[in-house]
Amino acid sequence: MTSAVWAVTGVLFAAGLAMVVLRRQLLAMLLGVELMLAAVNVALVHHAGLFSDAQAMAAVAIVIAIAAAEAVVGLSLILRVLRAGRGVDAGGLSELRG
Amino acid sequence: MSELTLLWVLPLGGAVACLVAGRFGRAAARTCALIFGAAYFVVSLAALMPFVATRGVGLDAVGGAPLAFGVSYLLAADGLSLSLILLTAFLNLVCVISSWENDVPAGYWANFLALASALTGVFLARDLFLFYMFWEATLIPMFFIIGLWGSANRRHAAVKFFLFTFAGSVFMLLALIALVVAKHGQTGTWTWDLAGLQGAPVGAAGPWIFLGLLLGFGVKIPVVPLHTWLPDAHTEAPAAGSVMLAGVMLKMGLYGLIRIALPLFPVYAQTWAPVLAGLAAVNAVYGALCAMAQTDLKRLVAYSSIAHLGFCLLGILSGAAQGVAGGSLQMINHGITTGALFLMVGFLYERSHKRGLADFGELANTAPWLSFFFGFAMFASIGLPGLNGFVGEFMCLSGISHSPIPMLDVPFFAVAGVLGVTLAAAYMLPAYQAVFWAPKGPESVSEHVFDLTFRERSILWALCGLMLWIGLAPSGWLDLLEPSVRGLVR
Amino acid sequence: MIGIAVPLAAKLLFLAPVAAILFAFFVVRPLKPEWTHWPILLSCAIVTASSFYLAARVLGLFGIAGGSFDKDVLHWAAAGKWAVDFGLRVDGPGAAVLAMVSLVGSLIHVYAAAYMKGDPGFSRFFLVFHLFFLAMIGLLTANNYVQLYLFWELVGLASYLLVGYWFHKESARRAALQAFMTNRVGDFGFMLALFFILSTFNVAHFNVIYVKLALTQQQGGIPVLLPAIGALLIWAACAKSAQFPLYFWLPDAMEGPTPTSALMHAATMVTAGVFLLVRSWPLISAVPYLPPVVAGIGAFTAIFSAIIASTKKDLKRILAYSTVSHLGIMMMALGLNQVALAIFHLVVHGFFKAVLFLCAGNVGHAIHKPTANVDEVGGWRKAMPWTYACFLIAALSLAGVYPFGGFFSKDAILDAAWENGGLIRWFSLLISFGSAFYIFRMLFLTFHGSRPEQQGLKAHPHEAGAAFVAPVFVIALGAAGIGFAAPYVQELVLAGWRGLPTSVAAVSGVLNLAGSPLIPKLDWHGQFGLSGLMAALGFGLSYYLTMVDASWDWRWRRNHPRLEAVFESDFGWKPFVALLAGAVGAFARFCGRVLDKRWWDGAVEGSAGAAHGASEALAGYSAGRLNDYLWWMAAGAALLLGGALR
Repeated sequence: MTSAVWAVTGVLFAAGLAMVVLRRQLLAMLLGVELMLAAVNVALVHHAGLFSDAQAMAAVAIVIAIAAAEAVVGLSLILRVLRAGRGVDAGGLSELRG
Repeated sequence: MSELTLLWVLPLGGAVACLVAGRFGRAAARTCALIFGAAYFVVSLAALMPFVATRGVGLDAVGGAPLAFGVSYLLAADGLSLSLILLTAFLNLVCVISSWENDVPAGYWANFLALASALTGVFLARDLFLFYMFWEATLIPMFFIIGLWGSANRRHAAVKFFLFTFAGSVFMLLALIALVVAKHGQTGTWTWDLAGLQGAPVGAAGPWIFLGLLLGFGVKIPVVPLHTWLPDAHTEAPAAGSVMLAGVMLKMGLYGLIRIALPLFPVYAQTWAPVLAGLAAVNAVYGALCAMAQTDLKRLVAYSSIAHLGFCLLGILSGAAQGVAGGSLQMINHGITTGALFLMVGFLYERSHKRGLADFGELANTAPWLSFFFGFAMFASIGLPGLNGFVGEFMCLSGISHSPIPMLDVPFFAVAGVLGVTLAAAYMLPAYQAVFWAPKGPESVSEHVFDLTFRERSILWALCGLMLWIGLAPSGWLDLLEPSVRGLVR
Repeated sequence: MIGIAVPLAAKLLFLAPVAAILFAFFVVRPLKPEWTHWPILLSCAIVTASSFYLAARVLGLFGIAGGSFDKDVLHWAAAGKWAVDFGLRVDGPGAAVLAMVSLVGSLIHVYAAAYMKGDPGFSRFFLVFHLFFLAMIGLLTANNYVQLYLFWELVGLASYLLVGYWFHKESARRAALQAFMTNRVGDFGFMLALFFILSTFNVAHFNVIYVKLALTQQQGGIPVLLPAIGALLIWAACAKSAQFPLYFWLPDAMEGPTPTSALMHAATMVTAGVFLLVRSWPLISAVPYLPPVVAGIGAFTAIFSAIIASTKKDLKRILAYSTVSHLGIMMMALGLNQVALAIFHLVVHGFFKAVLFLCAGNVGHAIHKPTANVDEVGGWRKAMPWTYACFLIAALSLAGVYPFGGFFSKDAILDAAWENGGLIRWFSLLISFGSAFYIFRMLFLTFHGSRPEQQGLKAHPHEAGAAFVAPVFVIALGAAGIGFAAPYVQELVLAGWRGLPTSVAAVSGVLNLAGSPLIPKLDWHGQFGLSGLMAALGFGLSYYLTMVDASWDWRWRRNHPRLEAVFESDFGWKPFVALLAGAVGAFARFCGRVLDKRWWDGAVEGSAGAAHGASEALAGYSAGRLNDYLWWMAAGAALLLGGALR
């Protein structure tokens, strides 16, 4: 069971990471981050049950809250970028270049 | 709040107040700067007064329990600290009054007061972490003063100044950390207290730690070959900025040597002394030679600073009573004299936007007060006996020629020092003649240079009066300084 | 000597000039600049009266035994065991020179008030002029080397400002700079000597140093650094007193107004070097080989500059080289251990040289120029009878004709040189010949006859007026009669040295002075007629070359342009010095512009450039692309994780 959960969460996490790193669309990158968080959450829930650990469940709740907050901030940032007429592509945001 | 805390908080508060007052216009900001500058001067004078009564003996201290990592709020002041703080306060006031007519925003005044505050902190701190914080804090206002209100090439100079001194400070910080770690290894407690770090078992790292401290302080002094930031920074800074830079900031390096590097490592201070004194002698002669080659009046004065600080360093290293006391007096002297010279070069620049030796001529006829005061300060800088420069130079060189430290008492150092004194006339007088005596050239802007106003004359009377006072009766000043540096006498 | 209160007169020596200068600067100058001289002349009167009173005290004329005193009045600077106090010392040598300086100096002040009238810088001139005077008085009454150095430098400052007084002239600016820099080169020696003195004796006071030295000598030795101290002090004196190799600044310093030259040559500046050596004589004479060096420098300079003086056309320049020559004679006297004679000649020279300069000033004034050339004068004897009379008295005094002052001092020195024997014996004859020749050549060319080459009588010269003549005449009377004061000067000098404990006097060379016949009593032919004979020869030759063969000078110059160039360049010494100065300047320019700016600062800035280039090269890896960053982040996280798990 545990190894199956690891496999699923691993695949999910890898998929999320791939989305973040490879995709250039800001929305997709945000989705990738959400996916990675979800993968970690799944693993956490499984192990909390396994060791009957309340702290792990608390951590899950915090991760969900953070994921929500992150989605709010991320989406509003993307919206601002869009409104500024800079498109939804990460390639357009490279002023930090030295 | 204790008196010592007040000393550094007052100008900082002044800086904030200037920024707030800036909301009501530029006039309000400068009035605010004047009020706080004057109050700061009065407080620093009041703090020094008890030491005048005791002829410099005593210590005024604020202690505090460690806050974290052994860092604690430790301030202490003796005659040397308070004299330097008085110099800071005096020159700060001079700067405020001299820039009174300049149409500058509140930030200008705030930066000067913040600089004064940080400098005061450097001279007060007895906890090395605190010292380092204040040390670095001085860079920020000076960076802005040069970078925002300097002349044409100001940004380059500001960055160069910042990078140079910051790079030096990093070595100093590493040395300080190594010192604290070594002490921790011995006692098991963390402390940054200067007194508590005495005799830390540094072992084989000792020379490296000492070298790190020397690098940090040497850049500030500046010791040749670490000096190339100085001519650029002084030349590009606004007049008042050069006054603070030459008048007080260069003294931080020497103060660090006197207060930290030499007392913590008395053995290295002796064994390395010939090398350091050799560098100081190079400073005195090389600085003078470079000054002879300058065609820009401000650069010339800047190189003369390098030469003068060579004398200070020779005196401080000598380990003889007259050398050490003379070296500390020369720190004050140089602040007053070079401050006055930079101020007057600034007046010239404000009037004509030129600084070159060939850009003027015949000013003795059209601006007699300016030529009088410039001549006065120039002869003080040359080391004319009866004015302040001579006292310091004479005592420093007398100290090095009669040094108790082996290898230092060879006549070489005295000969080099006296050569530097001789050359001082060779760069100052031709410059003076070119600007004030020679006929106007085709490019001359002399007609824009009107004579000093009453406000400007008042400042210069104060500065020149001090030069004469210290020159004729230095014993009171020496009494004030000598007990603080007695520890360096072998 | 300790415990004696400082008499009021000694305090007035300082209080009066300082008060006068401050009052004139802050009150008179802003309100009525053309009245600046009044407070200053008052101060001159007070100073003169005070110094004569002090000299009389030292002589014991007021019933005070041992009127000389030496007292500290100010703790100047101290640190640990090191301390320098300032004080006042009025002793024989000091008082003798002080009396001359104050009298002659004050009269020159009076002359200057007339000479400078109407000059736009009148007020500035008088303030600096009086500062010059004050500095010299301070130098003469200093009781230790540091204080002496203080006033020594102040003399240099005042002379700089006065030589450069007409700063719109290129030549004046250059002369002022040259004067100050040359003196500075001499001060290099003085300052170094100060440090060696302080480290050898731990004190700078003359009286303590004499005692300490004597005690060391009693134990049969001298301090290790003493030869160096002596040599450095001699070097310093060579600069101030214009001796070879540092004499060249003095003739150029003619660029100042004539009263400045008079004050500088007679009273306040060039005598300072000789005075320094007088003060240091116990130190120098303790090193056996130093006095001959002093004598050699003096004798060489005396002849060298007498020859050059004979070839000059500018009146003030002739006088300037004559001063150099006479300072050489004083140095020679010192080198022969004739301290009293040196001081006596210093005093006498002050009188006649002041007269000569002021007469040259009158001559220049007649053609409205600061100085005159022999081409512009000639045959002015009748037009300027008073000036002529004064000049004649001073010239006779300079040439050493009985009974004028110079006879008593100069011939006595030459006589001492003859007694000494050796090379210096023949030098003394040449000096005697040379000085008579150049001064009478000048006299004849200016006042007698008129040569076709000279424009003098076309200028319609006339006497300048009482204010110009009266002070000169008073000094000329002094120049005529001062010779008879020789016993007093001798007494003064002895009185001063008597202040030393006997044990010191016994060994420190002071006894030589006190015991030997000091200033020989000379009757009209002198103790030795040969020097008089040589002077007569010089007179005769000058008469022949200026009066009999009247155009000889001009003909010679026309026929020998290359020889004249040699004389004009002081036998090549001036170009050599210029070369040295140029080399220092070139080295400085190399240091400042190439070594410091281009090479070193260039390297430092270059390192910043290199760092910038490196960062540009690496900048591609942080190009602001979000995905790249995330790659790096993921890789870093994996690395950390791997490390943690392992």
